[in-house]
Amino acid sequence: MTMARQVRMTVNGAACEGLAEPRTTLADFLRGELELTGTHVGCEHGVCGVCTVLLDGRAIRSCLMLAVQADGADVTTVEGLAEPDGKLHPIQEAFVEEHGLQCGYCTPGFLMAICELLESNPSPSDEEIKDVLGGQICRCTGYQSILRSVHSAAAKLGGGRSATGA
Amino acid sequence: MAVEIPTELEDLPTSKPHWIGREVKRVEDPSLVTGRTEFIDDVVLPRMLHCAILRSPFAHARISKIDTREAEALPGVLAVVTGEDALRWSYPAVTAPEGWGTHCIATDKARYVGEPVAAVAATSRYVAEDAIELITVDYEPLQAVADPFEAMKEGSPLVIEEKGSNVMLQRTFTWGDVDEAFAAADHVFSEKFRWNRVGANPTETFGAICEWDPMDLNLTVRGSIQSASNFGLGRVATFGLPSNRVNIISYAHGGSFGGKGGTRGTDVACLLSRKAGGRPVKWIEDRMEYLTAGGSQAWDRHYEASIAVRADGVVTGLRVKLVNDIGATGEGFGAINTAKPLAAFTGPYTIAVAQYDLTLTASNKLPESPCRGMGPPPHFFVLEQMMDIAARALDVDPAEFRRRNFIRADQFPYTIPSGNEYDSGSYEEVLDKALELAGYAELRRQQAEALEQGRLLGIGVASAIEPGVFDLNVYSVVGMQGTGVPEGATVSIDILGMVTVRVGFTLEGQGQYTLVSQIIADYFGVEMDSVRIAPLDTRSAPPSFGPGGSRLGVAITGAVLGACERIREKMAIVTAGLMQTEPANIELMDGRFRVKGVPGAEMTVAEVAGTMLARSDLLPPGIDPRPEATHVWTAPGRAPVDEEGRTKSYLTAAQAVHVVLVEIDRETGQVEILKYCLCDDCGTRLNPATVEGQTDGSVVQGIGAALLEEYAYDDEAQPLSTTFMEYLLPTINDVPLIEKVAVVTPSPFAPLGAKGCGEGAMHTTPAAVMCAVNDALAQLGTRATEVPAAPHRVWKLIREANEKPQGA
Ligand code: FES
Ligand code: FES
Repeated sequence: MTMARQVRMTVNGAACEGLAEPRTTLADFLRGELELTGTHVGCEHGVCGVCTVLLDGRAIRSCLMLAVQADGADVTTVEGLAEPDGKLHPIQEAFVEEHGLQCGYCTPGFLMAICELLESNPSPSDEEIKDVLGGQICRCTGYQSILRSVHSAAAKLGGGRSATGA
Repeated sequence: MAVEIPTELEDLPTSKPHWIGREVKRVEDPSLVTGRTEFIDDVVLPRMLHCAILRSPFAHARISKIDTREAEALPGVLAVVTGEDALRWSYPAVTAPEGWGTHCIATDKARYVGEPVAAVAATSRYVAEDAIELITVDYEPLQAVADPFEAMKEGSPLVIEEKGSNVMLQRTFTWGDVDEAFAAADHVFSEKFRWNRVGANPTETFGAICEWDPMDLNLTVRGSIQSASNFGLGRVATFGLPSNRVNIISYAHGGSFGGKGGTRGTDVACLLSRKAGGRPVKWIEDRMEYLTAGGSQAWDRHYEASIAVRADGVVTGLRVKLVNDIGATGEGFGAINTAKPLAAFTGPYTIAVAQYDLTLTASNKLPESPCRGMGPPPHFFVLEQMMDIAARALDVDPAEFRRRNFIRADQFPYTIPSGNEYDSGSYEEVLDKALELAGYAELRRQQAEALEQGRLLGIGVASAIEPGVFDLNVYSVVGMQGTGVPEGATVSIDILGMVTVRVGFTLEGQGQYTLVSQIIADYFGVEMDSVRIAPLDTRSAPPSFGPGGSRLGVAITGAVLGACERIREKMAIVTAGLMQTEPANIELMDGRFRVKGVPGAEMTVAEVAGTMLARSDLLPPGIDPRPEATHVWTAPGRAPVDEEGRTKSYLTAAQAVHVVLVEIDRETGQVEILKYCLCDDCGTRLNPATVEGQTDGSVVQGIGAALLEEYAYDDEAQPLSTTFMEYLLPTINDVPLIEKVAVVTPSPFAPLGAKGCGEGAMHTTPAAVMCAVNDALAQLGTRATEVPAAPHRVWKLIREANEKPQGA
């Protein structure tokens, strides 16, 4: 076991710091040290995408990255999507309206992956959506309603608003 | 007070339902999409420790020595437990079949890879994982049993020596004169099938926080627990505690599908908490633990089936022989998967006689668990392949062949040979709608055209029953005793007319809080937003089983309506007293208690509730002043099984027809689904959007089972599917657009006519996909009898077919 060290990052726009051993994953750091439990883990071996967060604008698997590797980064998690007054982000609204979730455990990961997608491609086709979401597993919905949610979110965000709200 | 539960929407006290039957937004979702819903791993308790479990790397090995000293000495470690602690402080697990349980930690030998051998509680999961690496175990490997037919042989190594055999159960059920039906048949068709292990795999694994109070001798378990009351009874038995000293607090869970077992790990964490002086111990199963040692595996089956068919295409008899490898113990209750087919043995057909020859064996594989659909999905896979084999031999179109054998709409309620009663159905209409949606004739034309181009297309038409609202009674045939499965709800209206509903289950994904809100809103004429659901622990909740067996939507509807009816009766008496008339003159309609025939003489529900709560002095004598009631609903008329396992078990029978078009790549054996259409009938659709969601999700799980998912083991019973790299879950790229239509034939017996629909298409999809695969392969003169039809299997069949001399 090696000594824990101080790790600093910007999370959802706020400067955060905490202690992490070199082996602590970013997922565990966010969930444990920073108490941001909205990011879930489903496999901890990089397949399910449940742990997806944005790191400097890119969707990454927080179970596969170490917290120390994210030192100095700008991280966005599901907690950073809705307004502080509770107003949902358009992608979240779309998921609610289109029944894009059942148990909701996979949802934070999907939302973050979709943020990245819509940022770079504001009106993706079915195929483009499948390309990106092929790495996110949902065991409940059968993906049909998730596909609808992405299209609906894209429509809501049309008008040039950025997917991450930036 | 006898309470009548409305079986029709028209019976509700509303001139027109505003919420029931509409695609309302789910009340659960805002909290879920923002990451605010609390799952078990989000919970942190004061002084909480973290558990890691050391697991056996051998499928079968004697444990001669364990040395835990180094682990105990590691800073941050508070407790280490081994089989000795399990022997001292717990009993072997309760099982089905009975008497096939072991302790939660191996005491003398390990019986499967992943069986707990020791465990550590430490200040963090990282330290706990470090510590288990410091434990040394001396194993003497024993010969492992990985195959049920080997397991049954004389001289096979015994998984549990004291039992003297690896046969857990052998029983033949005969319903009617089966020999006679087969002797009289114009045709008899037989085939063998193999269904490999698959499983639930919710995205959240199991987790629990266990707290053993050494002073009060209380055990509190928080966890992602599907049926809290049942789970509590299990802990009562395991620890020999009085039942009022075990409290289960269930948290929202990230899916279950029957695969949230987790009892071993829970019991290990309980032992650790006890050893650590009562500090709470959190155990979160990781995915590899889930895949190798969790509630993850089901349906390891070897089938032999025969059907008797008359020259006119009527099926007159069915024989199914099943050998199911249950794994090392009966603790996961995987055996009940083999009992549920009794609830729908002959599917949607009028097959008059049937026989089920059932053998359950032990092996050195993981104990099996429930899984969505429970047991009929493989059974229907077999039945539907047999229907197609017969149809093909008789040169009858598979859709037409099914039509000839369907139970007709005028035959309901219909009792099947294995004893269950189907409530209602319109099977032909469902078939017609599915064929129409799919453009069946056009699909056949496409198939013929493709064949000319050398492409291999297949069309599957399959139908199955989804038994809904389970009862324990039928599970007694494999040793799980009980009759009646209650669900309760307490409905309270406060002084401002807001409604709280207390229940004994929590979020799992099917939208039941939304359903409860819809019902209350229509019943009392309030907004859905005026309703709040409060999930309670087992110490405070009304009797509850929770989700399972496609029951909760129907059962909670019954419970909530019952409680509403009780409140209505009470409020009618109060209103009558205030209005100086008889209760019989009072009616509830659209949220108002009115004096019949006296316009304007009325009070709102909120006014009556407010009066009851504030002015008990004005109430008629003897009336309970609380605008609150509890109702416990249980499916009526359930009884224990007879000597052949027959009983009315499941209350409702939903039915579906799926039509699937697949293409098989001749070079790779890859099966691609080109079109997926279905029509289903699950009675009244209380929230059509959530019904559709259950259907979509279960179609995709069914596709996974048919084409991708498999828990493979080698000959030494070493698991080969230990990560998501080997256990392949369907992704968005594996699924077609699912086209759906519905027929609505309400249940005459169930609350509001709704049928159980949560397990859904899992009953039909694997059968339908395999019918399509075999329709394609039939063009090469071969047949896939093993599931999943993964590329390596299909490729081999194609190659063998090509090598066969033509015309052979
Ligand atoms: S938890 Fe990170 S990919 Fe599965
Ligand atoms: S909603 Fe449950 S896993 Fe996706």
